[in-house]
Amino acid sequence: MTPNSDMDVSTPRSMRDQFAIVGVGETTYTRGSGRSTRALGTWAIRNAMEDAGLGPDDIDGMLSYSNNDSTPATFMAGDLGIRLNFFMDCYGGGSSTEALIGMATGVIAAGMCKTVVIFRAMNGFSQVRIGGTGARSAVPVDGDNLHSRAYGWQSAGQMFAPSFLRHMYDYGTTPEQVAMVKVVHSEHASNNPKALYKKRLTVDDVLSSRMICKPLHLLDCCVETDNATAIIVTSIDRARDCKHRPAIIRSIAGRVCKPRADMHYQAGPISTVAGHYAKDILWPNAGVGPEDIDVTGAYDAFTFTTMLQLEDYGFCKKGEGGQYVSDGTTRLGGKRPNNTSGGHLCEGYTHGMNMVIENVRQLRGDVDDSCPIGPDGKRQHTYDYREGGCRQVKDVELTANLGWANPGTGSAMVMMRG
Amino acid sequence: MAQIPLPRPYQDTEAYWSAAKEHRFVIQKCRDCGEHQFYPRGVCSHCLSSALDWVEASGSGTVYSFSVNYRAPHPGFAGKTPFVLAIVELAEGPRMMTNIVDCDPESVRIGMPVVVTFDDVTEEITLPKFRPA
Repeated sequence: MTPNSDMDVSTPRSMRDQFAIVGVGETTYTRGSGRSTRALGTWAIRNAMEDAGLGPDDIDGMLSYSNNDSTPATFMAGDLGIRLNFFMDCYGGGSSTEALIGMATGVIAAGMCKTVVIFRAMNGFSQVRIGGTGARSAVPVDGDNLHSRAYGWQSAGQMFAPSFLRHMYDYGTTPEQVAMVKVVHSEHASNNPKALYKKRLTVDDVLSSRMICKPLHLLDCCVETDNATAIIVTSIDRARDCKHRPAIIRSIAGRVCKPRADMHYQAGPISTVAGHYAKDILWPNAGVGPEDIDVTGAYDAFTFTTMLQLEDYGFCKKGEGGQYVSDGTTRLGGKRPNNTSGGHLCEGYTHGMNMVIENVRQLRGDVDDSCPIGPDGKRQHTYDYREGGCRQVKDVELTANLGWANPGTGSAMVMMRG
Repeated sequence: MAQIPLPRPYQDTEAYWSAAKEHRFVIQKCRDCGEHQFYPRGVCSHCLSSALDWVEASGSGTVYSFSVNYRAPHPGFAGKTPFVLAIVELAEGPRMMTNIVDCDPESVRIGMPVVVTFDDVTEEITLPKFRPA
């Protein structure tokens, strides 16, 4: 039985193509912002409003997510002169972006508000380090963590590593294949002036970096950064009046879980991740399949997370993810580039939002690389993907974002060029 | 030296930690459907019965997957790296997160048979761990 076999989630009952992302905003990706999450958040939201051509009076909904290092929506709205008809601050990290975009479409459809800004403001390097040292490690052990923390299970890398190792065991996936995720994303980042790490790396660089927790080398792990990011969602009618070509939302699957979401290791093969279930909601609702997608944004908290998700969402056969991420498909100029900004491995860590922002820009045909800006204010893309060059993919019509919380929970979204 | 993060037993887990202190490894077994489960909880996740008994497990299992950890995740683990984080599949069925000890961390393999051993961390807390069988 598939998760949605008892309900018809296909059109016309789904909300396919009724909503769009009309604005995106970021702050500089840094290690040590020296500013509060409140200041960072207001800057990112302001940048998204400018990008959309909207003012404070045009925004009346707000959603945010965090693991304790954010500032509530009410403070952000207050600072920016926004009067809210709806807001919610949610707990969570990766996989929240797509899920909250889905919630935004729902509350707009319910008539609760008209236009929602979603933000993630985090000092992920200087305050709550995602890697699990610093403030996070001081959290008292309580409840069910007591079956993991006392044994030294704490960071995301440690918690996920058994799934990665088991994939190698089950399918013969090699460290060399998976290291290519970092290599490819570093190539993309070298064409992204905003990326924290712009240096192109080799498979050898990854495999000779120090072992953190087997099979994860240091360079298999993403960066930790301070930054804020924001996205504005509205109805398709309002979207047509905004500054840029809208990125139309075709389909969303939000925080879909494997069995035993509390401890996914208990059930099933752990080398299969939540995308295995999410795909049965994502693709029917989108009315397209993985073969139709031009650009992917598969969450790269680790090199392995990108591979596992591309595989379980059906971009290749189960077990062939190692081949898929290492044969050139995912690189700029390849058949289906992944994380063209450099993603979490190289651009910056935002709990998923920068990967959606990148795909919005890809769909607009206006990625912010180093190509010259023409008289119409748009970049004249060269499609020359050599170091320091272009990162716009030609004729992008459909993108897929694959968000990851952990092996047991994920979200996804398909967007279409407006 | 900093202490590792220690469990604080609560209503659902007190029996588990009390037994561990006496070097007994117990898990829950459902009186209605006969399935075992770990970690302790209020209902049987197989049949939703609340008729759960504590039974002594065989203490045998196999390594389902693992990681060799080279970086201390907490000051309490400083000087203890590398150590093995493992998911052990118990003979009774459930899988648990634990450590594999008493061996070279790099010698651990998926499918390796292991048996329970007890680490008396403090007077109050004993952690069930596993070693090669």
